[in-house]
Amino acid sequence: MKIGIEIHQRLDTTKLFCNCPSALSGEGAKPESVIMRRLHPVMSELGETDEASQAEFAKDRAFEYHTFRNNCLVETDEEPPGLLCPEALKIGLQMAIELNATPVSEVHIMRKTVIDGSNTSGFQRTAIVAVNGHLDSSKGSIGIPMIAIEEESAGIVSASEGKATYSLDRLGIPLIEISTTPDIKDGAHLTEVAEKIGLMLRATGKVARGLGTIRQDVNISTEGGARVELKGAQDLKMLPQYVENEVARQLLLLKLLNELRERKAIPVKEHMVEFSDVFRSAKPGLISGGIKNGSAVLGQKLPEHEGILGMEIQPGRRYGTELSDYAKKAGVKGIIHSDEDLAKYGISEAEERAVRDALGAWENDSFVLIVAPLEQAKKAMGFVLERANMDYVPGETRRANPDGTSTFMRPLPGRARLYPETDVPPILITGELIASVERAESLEDKKSKLEKLLNKEMAGRMLKSRHLHLFEKLAEAGTDPMLAATTLEDTVVSLRREGVEFSDLEKALAELFSEFSKGTFVKAAIPEVLKGMAKGARVDAVLKVYRLQKISGKDLEAIAMEMDFDMKAIMQKYRLQVDAQEVAAVIKEGKKEQGKDFI
Amino acid sequence: MYSKRLLDEFRKTGIDIGDRVKLVSSGVEFEGLLMPRPLSGDQDIVVLKLDSGYNTGLKADTLELVRKAQPKPAPPQDKGDELRARGGIAILGCGGTIASKIEYKTGAVYPSITPRELRMAFPALQKWDIHSRQIFSLFSEDMNATHWRLLADAIEDEIKDGSEGVVVMHGTDTMNYTSSAISYMLQNLPVPVVLVGSQRSSDRPSSENEMNMLNAVFSATQDLGEVGVCMHATTNDDFCHLHRGTRVRKMHSSRRDAFHSINARPLAAVDYRTRRFERLSDWMPRRKGGLIAKKEMNDNVALIYVHPNIKPSLISKLDDYDGIVLVGTGLGHTPTNAFDDKSVKGIIKPIRELISSGIPMAMSSQCISGRICMRVYSTGRLLMDAGVIGDGADWTPEAAYAKMCWALGQTKDRNEVARLMMGNVAGEITERSAIEGY
Repeated sequence: MKIGIEIHQRLDTTKLFCNCPSALSGEGAKPESVIMRRLHPVMSELGETDEASQAEFAKDRAFEYHTFRNNCLVETDEEPPGLLCPEALKIGLQMAIELNATPVSEVHIMRKTVIDGSNTSGFQRTAIVAVNGHLDSSKGSIGIPMIAIEEESAGIVSASEGKATYSLDRLGIPLIEISTTPDIKDGAHLTEVAEKIGLMLRATGKVARGLGTIRQDVNISTEGGARVELKGAQDLKMLPQYVENEVARQLLLLKLLNELRERKAIPVKEHMVEFSDVFRSAKPGLISGGIKNGSAVLGQKLPEHEGILGMEIQPGRRYGTELSDYAKKAGVKGIIHSDEDLAKYGISEAEERAVRDALGAWENDSFVLIVAPLEQAKKAMGFVLERANMDYVPGETRRANPDGTSTFMRPLPGRARLYPETDVPPILITGELIASVERAESLEDKKSKLEKLLNKEMAGRMLKSRHLHLFEKLAEAGTDPMLAATTLEDTVVSLRREGVEFSDLEKALAELFSEFSKGTFVKAAIPEVLKGMAKGARVDAVLKVYRLQKISGKDLEAIAMEMDFDMKAIMQKYRLQVDAQEVAAVIKEGKKEQGKDFI
Repeated sequence: MYSKRLLDEFRKTGIDIGDRVKLVSSGVEFEGLLMPRPLSGDQDIVVLKLDSGYNTGLKADTLELVRKAQPKPAPPQDKGDELRARGGIAILGCGGTIASKIEYKTGAVYPSITPRELRMAFPALQKWDIHSRQIFSLFSEDMNATHWRLLADAIEDEIKDGSEGVVVMHGTDTMNYTSSAISYMLQNLPVPVVLVGSQRSSDRPSSENEMNMLNAVFSATQDLGEVGVCMHATTNDDFCHLHRGTRVRKMHSSRRDAFHSINARPLAAVDYRTRRFERLSDWMPRRKGGLIAKKEMNDNVALIYVHPNIKPSLISKLDDYDGIVLVGTGLGHTPTNAFDDKSVKGIIKPIRELISSGIPMAMSSQCISGRICMRVYSTGRLLMDAGVIGDGADWTPEAAYAKMCWALGQTKDRNEVARLMMGNVAGEITERSAIEGY
């Protein structure tokens, strides 16, 4: 088994080839304009166009692009690109140094042909910054063959047969791509390596944070199986699950193939039959609804496949699911197969018998039905047959699902079409440039520094925290490190869980701790103060409205006396306004005074 | 270009572009194909195409040949149909990258010009009967009156051979100079002559070349007896505008919809997919009576942009030109010092002197849109009095320039030049200012 990982991380700089901010417009934002475009295949030097592209374009697809405030003419492919963002290049060089990689002498930017519409120019700009690095891990050294800087693609809004809609706000955001050699040993090792690289990236302080800013693609090859690329594994903790499930999936597929070979069930001969007649008076359901809308019902026999289609190869996903995913490439919603409970589609026993009769499918045979417009159904069934006839585990690009399973996306891509981006000149990597790259503290240095400021447990948590950079700023500004750390790691996190969010956490905390240092409120009140600040109020206003002002000195003595110097009662009522230590001291003093009265 | 040092190194080790080489850089070993170097950057850095397909630049400490490249048959470089075919649409190439092939290995771009290559690049061309040839291959910014003449000759030949329409593939930079020049040189056109280009080189999947080309060919089949320019109407890949050749101008350095008609609406909205050729303004149909060719051109003409601080000596030094077109400010003005102010340097004197010496001068406007009217302010009246022609014309500077070259090619007589300039030949002067022309 060989495992490798490819990490794409968005950078916190302006876009890679223009000065637009790398900010997303937000969920549901209305576009400023809508542009319609088509892409078309390009003739190679051989006087032929790429066969795959030809097929893609035979579809004659239109692309719709939504533009937003942070878009310019570069992203709409109406202006040549600017020069490569120097800050992004520096971050690449910084990571190269961290990962013991060798920067190239001159960075050449390339165009990688992309024809699905996710780049308005029809290609993605990408460049190698460094090569030949390595990362130490608990299970040996992992090679980092390449560190590259490239453009993020446009985000898909919707796709259908004939049209795809993209949002351009994401297009052009710089990404750093770090790939490893397939030397990762197992699932736990994978998590370790991914975590370490993620940590190093965050330690630069210059990467974008939040959901979707980092993407992990895992490459898994098994002996006898194939190389599969799992795209978009978000949750690091799930990585071992993905490895386990993929290895199991391939092993089960191999077992399944053996069974099919023994039964002489493959190759499957194509013989599609149209069944609208049979289902003319079908019960209301998927099929009758489809027929009303002008769909055909197309069937194909899979001989000797009985029980195979229903075989689970991933938790909750069957071999039939794989065939269905291939069918979906033609734009259909899925397939119906005979290992399922056909009753749930409203198919009667009589109808099933009629289908089997017409297909010549007896007890040991299975069949597949597709409900869609005839041409589309034929295309989809073609893909089903294509997959059914693979007497090997196919190499695929699959989507990593949140539940640890994967779904087929497309066959593994062939060699990418890369040619020079001639609009942007190559960049010389000088000694001065490398020297100017701000050398981030090594992880080890950072760890020891944190351990000097915090206890060991909190230091460990802070090192992995997304708030690390903010913590460093607060500590530098004079806030008590433990207070800053617990506020970030405990208070802010639990508030977030309650739905309390800050648009500018850094600004809010700076204000909070600045006020705190004036002694206007106590530590225990911090969560409540933050709640009020999240609504947009200033600290002093929050203290007033929520009655969180610190009670101390004479006022505290008065209260203590009023409440009979009962610590428990005082803390119960005034917990958010008094400092426990001060209360204890006041009580001690007070009781002493009281005692005096009795002398 | 590689440095002499590296070229010597390559020669010594028997290495050519495209060969597989091995080199060591900063202690790391690299293997890949040797690529050509771009003109910019450190000429001492070796460009390698790695096995991943990426190119990168490396300072080589050592360099050795691993394997020679397979000898590749040179791509067929035929210039197209040498025999001029009859009928159908003639496609003439002047250069520009509206149709080209990319060699992925080196990133080099070669023009595609044979009908077979054009049909491969634009499969939808199948539906038309086309023949094609390359007249020359130049960036349009390098073109001059010599090329306008070559093109006019080629178009005339195509018309004589019975072509139903002519499409000219042309760079976008000076397309409107050429379209204007041809409009004067070839009059009473019996067929459409449609110039077309694309801003994005055709090695890019997003290139607007396909749509523009197909709409140009479609336009060339219509009942049109004029020179037109066919380019994107909007930033969308939806339809093109066909503009009158003497009225069109490139108004943006890079946008798809850079070409606009000035002081007029475009002639038509064109979409070959829906067979839409929608009239937006009037045009001349295919003319009867035969083509009238008046192809003599004088290239010794200057186009001078007027500006604050312009020196009288700049104008005086133009005395070895045969004609001058001024691009004045506003309604057609230059500094003339109408109020006799000591701080002003008017240029009326050298203008008057040059015109008196026999050099005709015409006025156009930096505003681009709008009509020249030199009768409104004393500035303009002084200029008219000095002999500057152009009052009442709403030509673009480029259409005026090409016209001066053409007029001076027809006659040396200054009065005749003025008469030719002020007469409307191909729509470069409109009689009425369209309200929607701005």
